[in-house]
Amino acid sequence: MAEHKHDDHYHPPGLQHQFEDMGQQMDSVTIGMWVFLAQEIMFFGGLFTAYLVFRSKFPMAFAAGSNELDALWGGINTLVLIVSSLTMALTVYYAQKGKKNMQVALIALTMLFGVAFLGIKAIEYSSKYEHGLIPVDGWNKRIKEGEHKESTAVRLPFETKASAAGTEEAHPNPSGDFQINKEKAQPLIDIAQKENFFTESEKIGYFDGGEFSWEKFTQKVQIFFWIYFVMTGLHALHMIIGLGIMAWLLYKAYRGTFSQDYYSPVEISGLYWHFVDIVWIFLFPLLYLLGRHFLAGGGH
Amino acid sequence: MDNVDAMKLDGSLEEPKVNYLTNGWSLKSWLLTKDHKRIAIMYLISVSAFFFIGGIYAATIRLELLTPASDLLESGTYNKVFTQHGIIMVFFFLIPSIPAILGNFLIPLMIGAKDLAFPRINLLSLYIYWIGGALTLFALLQGGVDTGWTFYAPYSTTFSNSYVLLVGIGIFINGFSSILTGLNFIVTTHTMRAPGMTWFRLPLFVWAHYATSLVMILGTPVVAITLLLVAIERFAGVGIFDPAIGGDPILFQHLFWFYSHPAVYIMILPGMGVISELISNFARKRIFGYEFIAFSSLAIAVFGFLVWGHHMFVSGQSVYAGLVFSFLTMVVAVPSAIKVFNWSATLYKGSISYDTPMLYAIGFMGLFLIGGLTGLFLGSIGLTVHLTETYFIVAHFHYVMVGGQVIAYLGGIHYWWPKITGKLYSEFWGKISAMLVFIGFNLTFFPQFILGYQGMPRRYAAYPEEFQVLNIFSTAGASVLAVGMTLPVLYLVHSLIWGEKASANPYMHPGLEWRTDSPPPTLNFDETPVVTWEAYEFGEESGMDLDAARRRDEVSPAA
Repeated sequence: MAEHKHDDHYHPPGLQHQFEDMGQQMDSVTIGMWVFLAQEIMFFGGLFTAYLVFRSKFPMAFAAGSNELDALWGGINTLVLIVSSLTMALTVYYAQKGKKNMQVALIALTMLFGVAFLGIKAIEYSSKYEHGLIPVDGWNKRIKEGEHKESTAVRLPFETKASAAGTEEAHPNPSGDFQINKEKAQPLIDIAQKENFFTESEKIGYFDGGEFSWEKFTQKVQIFFWIYFVMTGLHALHMIIGLGIMAWLLYKAYRGTFSQDYYSPVEISGLYWHFVDIVWIFLFPLLYLLGRHFLAGGGH
Repeated sequence: MDNVDAMKLDGSLEEPKVNYLTNGWSLKSWLLTKDHKRIAIMYLISVSAFFFIGGIYAATIRLELLTPASDLLESGTYNKVFTQHGIIMVFFFLIPSIPAILGNFLIPLMIGAKDLAFPRINLLSLYIYWIGGALTLFALLQGGVDTGWTFYAPYSTTFSNSYVLLVGIGIFINGFSSILTGLNFIVTTHTMRAPGMTWFRLPLFVWAHYATSLVMILGTPVVAITLLLVAIERFAGVGIFDPAIGGDPILFQHLFWFYSHPAVYIMILPGMGVISELISNFARKRIFGYEFIAFSSLAIAVFGFLVWGHHMFVSGQSVYAGLVFSFLTMVVAVPSAIKVFNWSATLYKGSISYDTPMLYAIGFMGLFLIGGLTGLFLGSIGLTVHLTETYFIVAHFHYVMVGGQVIAYLGGIHYWWPKITGKLYSEFWGKISAMLVFIGFNLTFFPQFILGYQGMPRRYAAYPEEFQVLNIFSTAGASVLAVGMTLPVLYLVHSLIWGEKASANPYMHPGLEWRTDSPPPTLNFDETPVVTWEAYEFGEESGMDLDAARRRDEVSPAA
């Protein structure tokens, strides 16, 4: 009788009252995180569905949208996240070994990469603001027509041609509306018209009385940017939550909480971190790369 | 332990044992509790409040429809009233009702655990429910929403001037409450079972909740993101769903029904779980085809994800898609039918006692049968063109939602009331109210099948005069139903104060939840139980043989 009474048990640190032992707790939190991630997949899945539907309806508008994004920054961010996954995986390894200093260093490094990712994202977002690509009318930078204005955009040595200085003067945006670079989109439309591969939806969606309508085309590109901002925005929100979790882990690791017997918080936080990375691995090609080949001389 | 034995032998009580209700009296001990039973009680109170609000809307609708003219409410107001009835009832009553109250309370007890796997997440889900509910109520007070509970674009985008954004965000937030509850149940069922409690010894209530949780986890996020998109679309004025600015309204319907059809199973599966418990226990017989019922719950959860298109037969989706969805709709009826057949077979040669919960269970079987079979009418592509958007649909889903889920919920509340509160309610008034609910319900909704078949469209405040007689029947039935629903509030609350004290196992039923005190202690069991018997085992082995108990009582002079 007495040996069953849990009060008499040795109570390991970190064991919650509802569990019998550390093994049960470990199983529970691990399954819990996987179930949560299944939920997350469905959450992003709704957005991917919306992307899929609109992309298959309006491929050229989406290609025009992709061409407005900065694939170099996106590529660098992809690398940043992949490396952060490595440091995260190593954190779990050293938590299992109970090596405190390595844990602290690697968590800090992971956080650094996370912050770098968000910083680059902020640069990209602000460039969209500069170029009138925020898909809400009136939310973009307002530049009066004819008036020369110094750009406040962050200039970087490897900025691509499209987003380089000078475009603002070429595309004044007096009321901060959503607008696209027509010269840049023109070749896309020419290719599609010449080789006749507009989809049925595009034949209705871009044309007004048989004439190509920039207004209607811009509306479709606006949908691309709307999806872009919701998807990358929610992804960034997940990154911010991830950084919060990392900060908590950092504190716990610094206190020397984790050991061979108790490392489940590190492991499941790692699962979450990897998941957020994987979402980006899908976002990057879908948003930045698809459709780019049209302007690089490729066919459809 | 000694205390319990003392109670059984001499019937006297020296010092009442501390149970989950008496373990702390401060407000803080409730609001910051990690005890799944206290969280369930707080859910019970909140969900009942929403049920009351939704009920007032229902009463208003029935009053308006008493006369053909739109005289009590003008059309715009009527739109708001039926929308808010739907939103409150679906998102804030039906979905959380059985899982968050009975599931929360009972799953740890039934599997012999101290609590759910994540008590703090459980408490968080309650707070999320409160926040989502408060936002929605605030929106309703501000002027409400008139899109229909389905938020179809362009009602919710171009043509709406009501508080779509606020309500959408309220439901978005509330969705996470349901996701967290589902997550907790899945993990708890996997890892928290007591020694000997194998998967096939689990009560079917737990199996049903496991299947429900799968749907909550995989479906709710999709509707959450969909409503977020609607909210952002309205906020930013960019088209995703609004056809006027390049959006796709059919996409909205696909995304919405991808969740909202499975959500029907979130509402009915826990009800089926309750009925499995009631039928088997009150027939005092092991349930017929245990494995079939368990797996049919999972089958419903899986197939339920594949039939959403049957809500869109007339929306302009491809006819080939319509054919496939129609076929799959017939397929999803099979596991539901398996359950009904097995319940009927369980009753055969059982020693049935007609206690209040059993009256609800038997009522459920009849009403769910009608609700389910009329669902097949609506799933047939040809017939549905005639019946869609008529009162036939309204009657069909009320037969499943009210005749199914609400009846099962009431049956469950009655059945486990002695365990939850430690008090016995008045069996006489219980039976009266069960009868009133059954009669009132049928009188309300059966005429609506006929009205719909005759072509009365739903969602209009006015209707042609030839429909008035049946509408009067329906409103009269609603009044009876209201009385039947109000009575339990009175006698259950009465029992809290004046009710007879319930013993640990007043029905002599074998489930683990009956093998601890009523009300249970905070950690549920004095020591972790070891299960050596099968589910619903009424024989000598589980100690639940009534004859043996009678013999024991005769020998024991104190009893």
